[in-house]
Amino acid sequence: MTQSSDDTWTVTIVVPEESALDEAGETHKVEISEDETILAAARSAGVWLTADCQQGWCITCAARLVDGDVVHPNARRYDTEDREAGYILTCTAKPRADSTVVVEQYDEFLEYRAANNKPPGSSKLSD
Amino acid sequence: MANEKEHGSGSVEPGDTSKRVGAEVIRERGVDPEELREKLIDAIGAEFTTYYYYTNLRMHLAGEEDYKEITEDARLEDRAHFELVVPRVYELEGSLPNDIRDFADRASCPDAEVPTPMDGSGEFDTSELEVEDILEVLLEAERCAIRTWSEICDMTRGADPRTYDMAQRILNEEMDHEAWFIELLSKERDGEINPAGHFARGEPGDAPYTKNNPFNDSA
Ligand code: FES
Ligand SMILES: [Fe+2]
Ligand SMILES: [Fe+2]
Repeated sequence: MTQSSDDTWTVTIVVPEESALDEAGETHKVEISEDETILAAARSAGVWLTADCQQGWCITCAARLVDGDVVHPNARRYDTEDREAGYILTCTAKPRADSTVVVEQYDEFLEYRAANNKPPGSSKLSD
Repeated sequence: MANEKEHGSGSVEPGDTSKRVGAEVIRERGVDPEELREKLIDAIGAEFTTYYYYTNLRMHLAGEEDYKEITEDARLEDRAHFELVVPRVYELEGSLPNDIRDFADRASCPDAEVPTPMDGSGEFDTSELEVEDILEVLLEAERCAIRTWSEICDMTRGADPRTYDMAQRILNEEMDHEAWFIELLSKERDGEINPAGHFARGEPGDAPYTKNNPFNDSA
């Protein structure tokens, strides 16, 4: 990698009231460089977002992008439809603009995947 | 979810076999046993798929006998991890999916496929396949497993000692596995000496922490 990572973006992390995190109901602003993931930056800033694989596969870390832009260069199971539906995976999402994300959206994203017959929603929620 | 306070285990009537105190004591301590059990199914789905995928990765380390042997240890230990936790899923009133495709689809870690395209006739195109690429797939699979079992340790710490004990045993072996593949990848790809600090398992797939062997007798 020769590109410099001077660009940093302000990412506003909105933790929903109903989430199980200690930070429920809070909003945190985190400065994130373009090489850093939202998850890693949030955790370093003391906001312990939920995650598992950290490879853009399991969707445990799902969030909603309400404003701004992110890229997912290393995500293993994430596609443009997910993106168009407004979901991101914080474990692999790197900012490309000042952004606002609503975190802890696993249940919602799982439902979305199930409704579109895609894993892991299709295998976890089907009866 | 985890915030909602559920009824306590004191609510199990004498002789009632429709509930398990073994699950209710976990709920009383603030962990939802159903949510935990579903997470365990995802986690052992990943152990099972890596057991499968490592078979293929190991075979494609052709002529690299030392790498094959170490991959075999990691492969068999992933199977041991699956076997260790399956009964716990049933204790928590879950079950394995009937369809293996559902099991693989919900695995919490990515498919660890041989990092090469297929040729036109349905065979692996191995013309460009490098040993270091296989080692990198193995390393990243181990890293995923470390994260998963660490999450399960977090979920169960102080609330479910039985699952915690299983998860921390598995985590011990996953950390061994990561160290092995860091050593091999560093040497193969970068020509760097980056010791794991271990010697080979006594028998292939010994699983010193997760099988009913004498405790870590290789140490
Ligand atoms: S933690 Fe698994 S997709 Fe982000
Ligand atoms: Fe494993
Ligand atoms: Fe492993």
